[in-house]
Amino acid sequence: MSIMRLGYVHARVTDLEASRSHYSDTLGMEVKAEGDGKLYLKGWDEYDHHSVVLEEGGVGAVKFGFKVSHATDLEQYERALQQFGVTVERMAKGDNLATGDGVRFISPTNHVFELYHEMDYAGTETGTLNPQTFPRHLRGVGVPRLDHTLITGDDVEGMERLFIDCFGWHISERVIASPEEPTCLATFLSAGHKAHDLAILKGPDSKLHHFAFILDDWNAVLRAGDLFAMDDVPVDIGPTRHGITRGTTIYFFDPSGNRNEVFAGSYTSCADFPTITWTADQLGRAVFYHARELNDRFLSVFT
Amino acid sequence: MVTVAIRLLPDDVVLQGRPGEPILDTLRRAGYSHRFGCRRGGCGVCRVDLVEGSTTDGAVVSEAVLTPEERAAGVRLTCRAVPDGDVTLRLREDDTLRCVSPFLARYVTRSSLT
Ligand code: FES
Ligand SMILES: [Fe+2]
Repeated sequence: MSIMRLGYVHARVTDLEASRSHYSDTLGMEVKAEGDGKLYLKGWDEYDHHSVVLEEGGVGAVKFGFKVSHATDLEQYERALQQFGVTVERMAKGDNLATGDGVRFISPTNHVFELYHEMDYAGTETGTLNPQTFPRHLRGVGVPRLDHTLITGDDVEGMERLFIDCFGWHISERVIASPEEPTCLATFLSAGHKAHDLAILKGPDSKLHHFAFILDDWNAVLRAGDLFAMDDVPVDIGPTRHGITRGTTIYFFDPSGNRNEVFAGSYTSCADFPTITWTADQLGRAVFYHARELNDRFLSVFT
Repeated sequence: MVTVAIRLLPDDVVLQGRPGEPILDTLRRAGYSHRFGCRRGGCGVCRVDLVEGSTTDGAVVSEAVLTPEERAAGVRLTCRAVPDGDVTLRLREDDTLRCVSPFLARYVTRSSLT
């Protein structure tokens, strides 16, 4: 029984066509379906039908989908969530395009999460039989896959408890106010072997800080930065490195002001690793390792 | 080029906006800045109050970011609002107009005035 990964992010956008250009031309995702004011996209190295859903009207996150490894996990997680005491409901096959049935719950930070086991198989251009290393004619950044998301909310510790108790995740890193005042200000939760699949920053409930796409390495991050300059994408910060997760990064904004990230070069994490702790007085270095100070947007700009 | 005068209170700095240029872009081009976030109308951080004149948004702004009531009361997002003509805007009390590039402020602002 396990959650394998963040399978999809469903976000709101103010302009679907501007978003198509950003996610498809600049980031290089493939539009797999559209209609009903929505676009469904996937990265080139994703086998499932989509990983990003964009819905016209508003900004911010509608919901997040986590894919579980076995169909029977759904019932077990449903029970665990009920026991934990959050609002849980069943979703039917077809509630989400190309997606099977599952379990929907509202987190202590008032975000909507969905657990599912099935999604239509789309495959990749390189295939699974003696494949080449990448498709030759990628567009723009050519993001391979969705990686993680950072959301904001008040009950950071409640989120830690939920993801540990219900799903068996572990905390790779966390930020506390100080050793004397150990209030958790941010937490980086791992479903398995990544430094984070979901992170929560103390802040207003229901908000999105960013969702991120993985890239191969620092060179790819730099090249993404070049493409953002060419396409006039507003860059929040970067290319630089995070102290937390050690990942190299660019934060940037989509045409509706939702923050995206390209991310590379983090470390492997395991459930038995000790949690790395950062204190608030070192938050600058923790978030932006080189500048060693936060920009004024990191803790205030959400959608 | 026909330009519009953008007067920023309380500092009383006047900048020349180009046709179709969102106010925040004029500021940045002229070496100035104030509080902003996403530059795409999503975060609402760049709110200011319109004192005189009128503006049109250069792209759709969600009502979740700027409510119709706020808009009617004159609240504008500098990253989206394009002046229709000369305008006067007031920055919020917790926001400040910063001259981040005296070089640009000197050369861009002066040359656009002549
Ligand atoms: S900077 Fe985000 S709305 Fe203007
Ligand atoms: Fe991230």
